[in-house]
Amino acid sequence: MVIAGSGGPRLAAVNRAAEAGGVGPGMPLAHARAVLPGLEAAGADPKGDHRALAALAQWAGRYTPWTATDAEGNGIWLDISGCAHLFGGEAALMADLDRRLTALGYETRLAAADTPGAAWAVTHFAAASGTPAVIPSGAQTEVLATLPVAALRLQPDVVEGLRRMGLRRIGDLLNVPRAPLTVRFGAAPLQRLDQALGHTDESIKPHRPLPPMRTRLAFAEPISQRSDIDAALGQLLDAMCRQLAATRQGARGLRLNFYRTDATTFEVTIGTSRPVRDADHLDRLFRNKLDNIDAGFGIEAMILAATVTDPLDPAQADLQGDSAKERTGVTDLIDRLGNRLGPKRVLRLQPRASHLPERASRPVSALARDDTPADPLPGNKAPRAPRPVRLLPTPEPIEVMAPVPDHPPVMFRWRRAQHRITRADGPERIGPEWWLEPPRALAGGQSRIRDYFRIEDTDGVRFWVYRAGPYQAGTPPKWYLHGFFP
Amino acid sequence: MGGSAAYAELQVTSNFSFLNGASHPEELVETAAALGLSAIAITDRHSVSGLVRAHTAAKRAGIRLVIGARLDPEDGPPLLCYPTDRAAYGRLTRLLSLGKRRASKGDCRLTLADIFDTAEFMGGQGQVIIAVPPREPGDAFKSALLKLCKNLNCRLYLAVFVAHNGNHVAYIRTLLEYEKTYRIRLVATNNVHFHIPERRPLQDVLTCIREGCTIINAGFRLAANGERHLKSPDEVARLFHDMPDAVARTVEITEACSFSLDELRYDYPTDPVPPGLTPQQHLVNLTRDGAATRYPGNVPDKVNAGLDHELKLIGELGFAPYFLTVHDIVRFAEGRGILCQGRGSAANSAVCYCLGITAVDPARMDLLFERFISAERGEPPDIDVDFENGRREEVIQYVYEKYGRERAAMTATVITYRVKSAVREVGKVLGLTEDAIVALQGAAWRRSWDDIEDKHIRDAGLDPNEPTLRLTLELAGQILGFPRHLSQHTGGMVMTRSRLDEIVPMANAAMDERTVIEWDKNDLDALGILKVDILALGMLTCIHKAFGLIAAHHDRRVTLATVPAEDAAVYDMLCKADSVGVFQVESRAQMSMLPRLKPRNFYDLVIEVAIVRPGPIQGDMVHPYLRRRNGEEAVDYPSGALRQVLEKTLGIPLFQEQAMKIAMVGAGFSPEEADGLRRALATFRRLGDIHQFQDRFLAGMKKNGYAREFSERCFKQIEGFADYGFPESHAASFALLVYVSSWLKCHYPAAFACALLNSQPMGFYAPAQIVRDARGHGVRINPADVNLSDWDCTLEPGPADAPALRLGLRQVKGLKQAVADILVAARESYGRPANLESSNSLAFSSLPDLQRLTNLSKSALETLARADAFGSLGVSRRQALWAVRGLNDEQLPLFAAADAAEIRAEPIVVLPTMTLGEEVADDYRSLRLSLKAHPLGPLRGELTAQGYVPCGELEHLTDGRTVRIAGLVTTRQRPGSAKGVLFVTMEDETAVANLIVWPKVFEDFRSTALRAGLLGVHGHVQKEGLVIHVIADKLTDLSQLLAQLDNPDAGLPDPAGGTMTVASRDFQ
Repeated sequence: MVIAGSGGPRLAAVNRAAEAGGVGPGMPLAHARAVLPGLEAAGADPKGDHRALAALAQWAGRYTPWTATDAEGNGIWLDISGCAHLFGGEAALMADLDRRLTALGYETRLAAADTPGAAWAVTHFAAASGTPAVIPSGAQTEVLATLPVAALRLQPDVVEGLRRMGLRRIGDLLNVPRAPLTVRFGAAPLQRLDQALGHTDESIKPHRPLPPMRTRLAFAEPISQRSDIDAALGQLLDAMCRQLAATRQGARGLRLNFYRTDATTFEVTIGTSRPVRDADHLDRLFRNKLDNIDAGFGIEAMILAATVTDPLDPAQADLQGDSAKERTGVTDLIDRLGNRLGPKRVLRLQPRASHLPERASRPVSALARDDTPADPLPGNKAPRAPRPVRLLPTPEPIEVMAPVPDHPPVMFRWRRAQHRITRADGPERIGPEWWLEPPRALAGGQSRIRDYFRIEDTDGVRFWVYRAGPYQAGTPPKWYLHGFFP
Repeated sequence: MGGSAAYAELQVTSNFSFLNGASHPEELVETAAALGLSAIAITDRHSVSGLVRAHTAAKRAGIRLVIGARLDPEDGPPLLCYPTDRAAYGRLTRLLSLGKRRASKGDCRLTLADIFDTAEFMGGQGQVIIAVPPREPGDAFKSALLKLCKNLNCRLYLAVFVAHNGNHVAYIRTLLEYEKTYRIRLVATNNVHFHIPERRPLQDVLTCIREGCTIINAGFRLAANGERHLKSPDEVARLFHDMPDAVARTVEITEACSFSLDELRYDYPTDPVPPGLTPQQHLVNLTRDGAATRYPGNVPDKVNAGLDHELKLIGELGFAPYFLTVHDIVRFAEGRGILCQGRGSAANSAVCYCLGITAVDPARMDLLFERFISAERGEPPDIDVDFENGRREEVIQYVYEKYGRERAAMTATVITYRVKSAVREVGKVLGLTEDAIVALQGAAWRRSWDDIEDKHIRDAGLDPNEPTLRLTLELAGQILGFPRHLSQHTGGMVMTRSRLDEIVPMANAAMDERTVIEWDKNDLDALGILKVDILALGMLTCIHKAFGLIAAHHDRRVTLATVPAEDAAVYDMLCKADSVGVFQVESRAQMSMLPRLKPRNFYDLVIEVAIVRPGPIQGDMVHPYLRRRNGEEAVDYPSGALRQVLEKTLGIPLFQEQAMKIAMVGAGFSPEEADGLRRALATFRRLGDIHQFQDRFLAGMKKNGYAREFSERCFKQIEGFADYGFPESHAASFALLVYVSSWLKCHYPAAFACALLNSQPMGFYAPAQIVRDARGHGVRINPADVNLSDWDCTLEPGPADAPALRLGLRQVKGLKQAVADILVAARESYGRPANLESSNSLAFSSLPDLQRLTNLSKSALETLARADAFGSLGVSRRQALWAVRGLNDEQLPLFAAADAAEIRAEPIVVLPTMTLGEEVADDYRSLRLSLKAHPLGPLRGELTAQGYVPCGELEHLTDGRTVRIAGLVTTRQRPGSAKGVLFVTMEDETAVANLIVWPKVFEDFRSTALRAGLLGVHGHVQKEGLVIHVIADKLTDLSQLLAQLDNPDAGLPDPAGGTMTVASRDFQ
């Protein structure tokens, strides 16, 4: 794993094989490659690491409600006061934790102690991998005394300063008068020492997960009538839209779970082409899908969850109390068709910056999040030749009469109809996108150019035709019709 | 070609419009000639920097080059501007200078007002100007055109090109309308950006580099087609079949613009000449006066004859002003007490010696002046002058002041795409990942482009058949050698008598107070414009400082020229490879050469300097020379003619001049051809010139009766020299500095070491090695101390009359000079009356005392304490650190006089005493060296237990014996010429050892070889005379022992990175 640093990328973390090969964190990548030529590197993701750690902390909530990631960002605290007995004591809890984490693919260093500081020190400086350590109550002084002062979670410069004084172990600090030490190194060493030894309290700030967008409805009597289900859905959607409004979000995807009395469940999902918190609209989208539900012996609960949300600012209500309708008929239609036919069946075109007409747009799912970049058509400012309104799916060959090869046609035949040309402009020469065809890219595609002409026939119909390839004496040129201008 | 009309291409953008054009000027000119165009112009944006190359190529290809540039006024359409004569050209370059001087580096800002109204440009008088219409000409362009018609004082045309963008008919109709309305004639161009259609991909890649995007995301920023290439007259006639007049006008313009760069008559500045004298007379006078000073009493006949001869030649060629210019600069430096020395082809002449430009006595050398400037070659003389590196700027500013900004400027250096940058930028455009780019760079690293094989790419973990990778390599190969931007040459200065900005545009350099022209050294050479290289050399600083110390402490005054010549003791020292710190010959390779070459006179040093170079090494000339020198091989010459060339070096070519001379004498090259060969090899490897030269060379050699095998070897040698050769004249100047620095080291080791330390960073060795070497030569070294050290290292009275070296506070890592200055100033103003016998003579008697008198910050005091610089106060490092940390940061004025300890009564704290190992480790952390012990000293017991013997034992061991040694790695070298062999220099407390790691062993112990700070070696001894190497069989990383040294409490994990490290200097 590499991370950008001054003077080029540096290693952020290495696996066992790389470590054995003699490279380690902090080394410049170039240097590491010199040492270990086969080294494979990938970008580090500190934010992702932190997210994963936070998720793990949340997962550890199975042991205690008080879990948190530590300030150094490489460990997790569990305050198991009063919880250990539920798992058969501290040692059993630790063994269970170790087993589960190992099963998840993690390597563990675990310690339990009276104080967070002591546990941290032991995990980082004494515990063996995979062997949970339980420091007996009141024994932390003895255990800590032999550990280096760095185990007190001190800044590196403080550790270095203490080392220069010959104070290397925590035990060395115990014998130094406190006042002179504080004068020279600030409060941190003794505060951390006191915390680790239990002379001062240190609390763990727990990790709080964000409340999910969920509403739930349980029925005293199982329901199975369509009308009851619709009514319940209405209630759920109202509650959901209130929640969304409170957080200024709009739903892009919703999931409705049904719990039948026979302990089976099923679900219905919908998606929308843009953030919505209009209960009516969402209701319509759901109803289409509820037509053939099987309520079985009855439904005892329904849970509605927003699976995807996007920011949506509150809308101004008008004097009649109706919120201004932001959506248009088209987006409603897109949502309804999309949910009925499947998200990949309803497409819209996204513009793409390409000179080649057939590559100038691409189809995307109409329900997909709009990921059009801020500047969808880079370089679009420069004036460009006009494009036809209608493009044939594939260019169709035509028979052409053109006087000089560089000139536009004077007459052409398409689908057996003859067209006499009265006006023309061109050519617009378009080369192929050479980078999409690597084997022959380097020629620059000069042989596969097209010369496009805008032409108008005697009836005033305007065509877009092109000649394929450059003019070559002796070879009759090939012409194609590609589109129509209004 | 038939009856097609003649056509000249007038709108051409070369790659000197950086990232805009995709062809070299040479390629454009040569292709234009091949296509049969009647002429070609190069019109780069606001620049003439590609013109000299185009000019040279045009002469060679036999096509007319129209000189021009493209102006992009901020408030008007682009204008192509072609001067018709010399004066108009001067006005154009002045206009460009104006725009460049007011913009930031690399930019040029012009407005229509500049073009219409300034005195520099005279409204375009004498120019032909073509206005370039936008793609869709509208009202804005129309009104601009009107303005141009009204205000321009010259012939104005309107460019028309077939843009293939779909609105041709409408476009032409509009332009024809303008032609009628404003009576501006249309002229046909192809708006050329590259020479052949196949350059379209590169053009697109350049666009992406410029825009900072990938090719996938480039979109409409790319051109729709690849039409902007050079076209034949036939094709042009076809394209413009309805506008034959517009085509014919290109020729009309060509004829009007007859100006050629050949007309740039360069004129030397003549400022130093007193009235009434010609420059030649003045030079003769100065030289004669100088000779009288150099040789008090009488000038030797040989020298006199040489002077006559040289002066005559200089007179014939009219080079006197050039010598006077250099002399003037050197005299200025002398007046300021700046040490300097000339080198370069003309520098080692009797004239230069008498003028004080060099200090190499011609009586000591036998260099032929003709070799450097000769009548028939007409090649300008070349003198580079090295100055002390700290003071070169004074000299440069002197030149600016003397000649004025209009007449003096720095020369440019064209920064071009190298393998690494080419792969990186092309790879980024094609969307390669950072990782793949780095790997690909690695595969291409240190190889010439043609040598990259699939194997290397596969070794880098990439698939050579992957299409994008192939494409990247191909396009990177094309972009290689493309100019990226202009930078300023390190020291090249051009001076003229008339205005320099009428010869070439001047721009601001990145550095304030500097102006730089647009042409580089090769361009200036091609036009015969002289320049003086004003360079910086660290060793001159060191020698100057050493001279000063000798004057102060030994009462002896010497200069470069008066250091006693040919001192046997100096050569004895060099023969033993005792050369740490000496100029040039201190490198590992030089050190192992010295005992083999055994230099006994000055010319041997010249050879020593030249022989350890990639040129002679790769050309396999070193061993034959040594064998011949030691009489192990007969000295023979392939012919009498070549004997003349090679006699001085026993038949083996060692100098660049000899290689060129072989081409002339052996293969019958003319001097111009030989020079062309040198340039072809040095600059443009890709242009295919080399094969042409090679064929020509081999044919010439054959004609003169030399064996094919011999000729091919010669050519290979010439190839080597072109890149890495050393001219004899340079070697001679350097050899003098070798001699002088050796003399200093031999006779005044303390002063020499002191000067070396005070001139750091320079040279091959770190302070630790310099100090170690000085101690080995019996110099007493005293530690840095707050009471006794200055910023610089100093000499102080030592035992037995030899001065001792007191380390300066500059050795203390992290200490600013300002802090040392405060300390020294305080010492001087508060110093107690001198009483050398008592410790009371010390300025500071205690730490609180020192803080009170200097008011230094706590962090500065802590830095000093870490360096153990309170020794004279009787305070140990740890005590000092404890005390400093306990000080108040701000002084309370009320208590200033009181003793701090009394104010804050503290319990007494007993800290552990530092072990020797800890002291040494902390010394290294803070000073990068230790006077207390070598780090391996305290570890010796452990090392012996593991079977390692001291490095000092090596000299008692016989050749071939297996041995185990351990040492701190001080340097690692993997020179390109040694094919993967790693050379390691390491040291322990007894001696320095040289290690050779063959590639096989290197691969097995790669990580250890490259990383270990303390290296254990299992190997065997190789002895060759005095040269001892250890050939490694196994390597062990002993760095853990170093951690132990610092950590008396063994076994304590120390993840905070507190382990002592020893920085080695690694060269690859």
